[in-house]
Amino acid sequence: MAKIIVYIDDKKLEAESGKTILEVCRENDIEILTMCHLEGITDIGACRLCLVEIEGNNKLLSACTTKIAANMVIKTKTERIKKYQRITTELFFAERNHVCSVCVANGKCELQKLGYKVGLDHIRYPFLFPQCEVDTSHEWYVLDHNRCIMCTRCVRVCAEVEGAHNWDVMNRGNQVRIISDFNTPWGESTTCTSCGKCLHACPTGAIWPKDIVQGQLNKNPGMITELIEKRKLGL
Amino acid sequence: MSKKKLATVWLGGCSGCHMSLLDIDERILDVAALADIVKSPIVDGKEFPEVDIALVEGSVTSDEHLQEIKLIRKRAKTLIAFGDCAVMTNVTGMRNYFPLKEVFDASYKYAVSNDQYGQVPSHEALLKLNDKVVPLQEVVEVDFVLPGCPPSADTIFYVLFEFLNDRIPNLSEAKKLKYG
Amino acid sequence: MNRQELKTTIEAEKNKLDLQKTKHRICVCCGAGCISSGSEALLKKLQEEVETRGLEKDVEIIPTGCMGPCNQGPLVKFQPENTIYQKVDCNNIQPVVQAQVVENKPIENMLLFSDSRSKPFVNAKDDPFYKKQLKIALQDCGDINPEKIKDYLSHDGYQALDKVLFEMSPEDVIGEIKHSRIRGRGGAGYPTGLKWETVYKYVSPEKYMICNGDEGDPGAFMDRSVLEGNPHRVLEGMIIAAYAVGANKGYAYIRGEYPLAIKRFELAIKQAKKMGLLGSHILGTEFSFDVEVRIGAGAFVCGEETALIASVEGKRGTPKPRPPFPAESGLWGKPTLINNVETLAGIAPIINKGGEWYSEIGTPKSAGTKVFALAGKINYAGLIEVPMGTTLREIIFEIGGGMPGGEDFKAAQTGGPSGGCIPAEYLDVKMDYESLISLGSIMGSGGLIIMDKSSDMVDVAKYFMEFSMDESCGKCVPCRVGTKMMFDLLQKICNNKGTRIDLNRLEELAVYVKEASLCGLGASAPNPLLSTLRHFKQEYENRIEKEI
Repeated sequence: MAKIIVYIDDKKLEAESGKTILEVCRENDIEILTMCHLEGITDIGACRLCLVEIEGNNKLLSACTTKIAANMVIKTKTERIKKYQRITTELFFAERNHVCSVCVANGKCELQKLGYKVGLDHIRYPFLFPQCEVDTSHEWYVLDHNRCIMCTRCVRVCAEVEGAHNWDVMNRGNQVRIISDFNTPWGESTTCTSCGKCLHACPTGAIWPKDIVQGQLNKNPGMITELIEKRKLGL
Repeated sequence: MSKKKLATVWLGGCSGCHMSLLDIDERILDVAALADIVKSPIVDGKEFPEVDIALVEGSVTSDEHLQEIKLIRKRAKTLIAFGDCAVMTNVTGMRNYFPLKEVFDASYKYAVSNDQYGQVPSHEALLKLNDKVVPLQEVVEVDFVLPGCPPSADTIFYVLFEFLNDRIPNLSEAKKLKYG
Repeated sequence: MNRQELKTTIEAEKNKLDLQKTKHRICVCCGAGCISSGSEALLKKLQEEVETRGLEKDVEIIPTGCMGPCNQGPLVKFQPENTIYQKVDCNNIQPVVQAQVVENKPIENMLLFSDSRSKPFVNAKDDPFYKKQLKIALQDCGDINPEKIKDYLSHDGYQALDKVLFEMSPEDVIGEIKHSRIRGRGGAGYPTGLKWETVYKYVSPEKYMICNGDEGDPGAFMDRSVLEGNPHRVLEGMIIAAYAVGANKGYAYIRGEYPLAIKRFELAIKQAKKMGLLGSHILGTEFSFDVEVRIGAGAFVCGEETALIASVEGKRGTPKPRPPFPAESGLWGKPTLINNVETLAGIAPIINKGGEWYSEIGTPKSAGTKVFALAGKINYAGLIEVPMGTTLREIIFEIGGGMPGGEDFKAAQTGGPSGGCIPAEYLDVKMDYESLISLGSIMGSGGLIIMDKSSDMVDVAKYFMEFSMDESCGKCVPCRVGTKMMFDLLQKICNNKGTRIDLNRLEELAVYVKEASLCGLGASAPNPLLSTLRHFKQEYENRIEKEI
């Protein structure tokens, strides 16, 4: 691949063309916040945390889906972007019922970490408090919609890595929900292989194994990336 | 420098934040050197006095709380939302997903521990719960938020000590931001 | 059919039409509005009436597409006099036939606009409602039977296709379209010629042409009227576009709520295929192109091109970040051209009369005409087509006949849930893309709702926010949660419970959702709110509590 020059946060960088802005930033230790991104699976640009400003373009573009171009001037930490990252995080918290103190993922949650990262000490918007179901029908795992942030990492991991496509999304707007098969209880799914990849892909405490309690969850999303890498090598 | 007046308040919460406050242990002496605790669940006093700092634990769950927090807002120079319940309703807000009646019925009528005579208590002396629990900043202006369930004793001391020395603490910079 | 056969057919149809000019042609409007006020029963009754009078030889009755003034329907037009009768029903059709066909003397008090004009016009073309209009996309709607391809052929149908296939290269076609300066009529106003050229330039063995008929704005029905009134015009536009960009397969994505449009468009495809105007080796040339109808399932977001593509592919209709644009990687990852129905309806006239002709209509930056669905507090509601740059005042007071009861104009809402409100001080704004954007609104697909003082602007903003909230696909956070937050805040303000802080939050959120959303739905959802905040801030101020 041809090398091209890009400027990120006033740094002149050499990068391979065809790569996304996110890839180039991560290679060069420039921090980009993400939530729906998981190394190895398709990027969808849904969480809008990785938005960057590009000179000459009046729109904010998601770093995970936008490819670099020669002499692109990219800004990742402007005041506007920082402000929007904070609002996005606030909206994540306000949308469903995130009660850290009783959550299995407390202390290991990507959403919590994101909150600390953007310096979020309180949420300025009123909480929506929707009534959400908890699906405990699976023998080993639980799906708690209260804690789901609709990143759809589970959906993509299940379809792209496991090849089962148990998960999908139903409804629209703020009524969207992750569903198993055609909205059947997870335990009755005919496609789920109980592989547990969705559990590791999930950034919050929305999917968790039944045998743990508050704060005990240990997720390893890197395992999925590693698996994808090894498959590429034919190992 | 004259001593500051400090109050701690217990609204809709479990008092865990106050327990954590007690966990600052001997550092309470450092606080005492700079401030008098003039009102607190453990200090007797009917009327809420004018204070410099009010640490308010818990969320607003009833009309009584609402009146109280509005009065505190008027009489406190600095109002600190103390703990996750005060900041984001936390566990107390978990009843917000359901209509109040369902919550009462579930806890008093149909709870496993109740026999068939279980009934929802009603007496004028009892607190009248609002339909929805709200965090402090929904109803009054809050000067500082101190999240955590509970905030650690270190964090509480840090925040108090900064305010008592007329500095504004910064949880994010001090790496003391924590929820849950 | 080859080229010569097409020419012969067109000539024959034209001759037939000329012959008919001596007779009576009764056009019964069977557009959506008139059907709902009973024009189908009327059509039947009219046929019986003509039969009982034994006039079958002198009179031809045809169901047509929309004639325009929808709230005066059902409408019946007599040709060649071009006399339109309004509010005709089964009970009063007899005297009309007697007067118009037998006695050749119109009944004045039943003519179009007879209840509001002191002297209604016998030839409807003289009425200010029509006089100020210039019909290009809607040209033959209301004159031809949309279910008969020969009717279309007699009105210069498929002549542009003939010209394109035999006399023009794809470059020539693109050049002509660029020269015409036509811009996308779906809302965003992207130059159509440029779009075609971009798709043309991508080299790929497979390319696709999609017609976007997923008209979802509340109150908008121009695409519906074109599809129902003149489906062949759209189909011809699609074939020409496909020829220009090198696509061999096309999809017409029509929303499921338009069963008549779907039926007529499918019929049009069938007829065109039968005549060799569609399918393999069109008119005996090397060019092959096939079209299929895809039916939308009622999601507003599927009007967004990437979501539409996902829907055509059989996936959940959610948008994708652009770039890559569909021109580069669209349907099944192949270069794809997507044009709106109204845009495609304008293609054949441009080819026939030349880009130069089209570019001279309208304003320097917005050429041609635009169809508007005029609704709300207005005397003559319906479908109008005017040159770009016509002022709002002309549309409301000359074409639309002013406000009922002489009420004062308060605001006009353009662009549906993606647009904004224009207050009275801008009544003289020229209706073109740039002017509307500068006022915080957009052209959009052409919805135009007129409001008087009885409309509460906070409520208007709330209504559209609710629409966007319900129609958000739920993929990206700003749109999914942001629209809900904004709706809740607006509701709070509407209930007089809002505070200054709520208003500030609302403004902050609006800008955030506009800039951070993934697709056009989210990016334009705050527009009604932002524009009412800009022009009617006082109404918000009046409703908020003065202190927290």
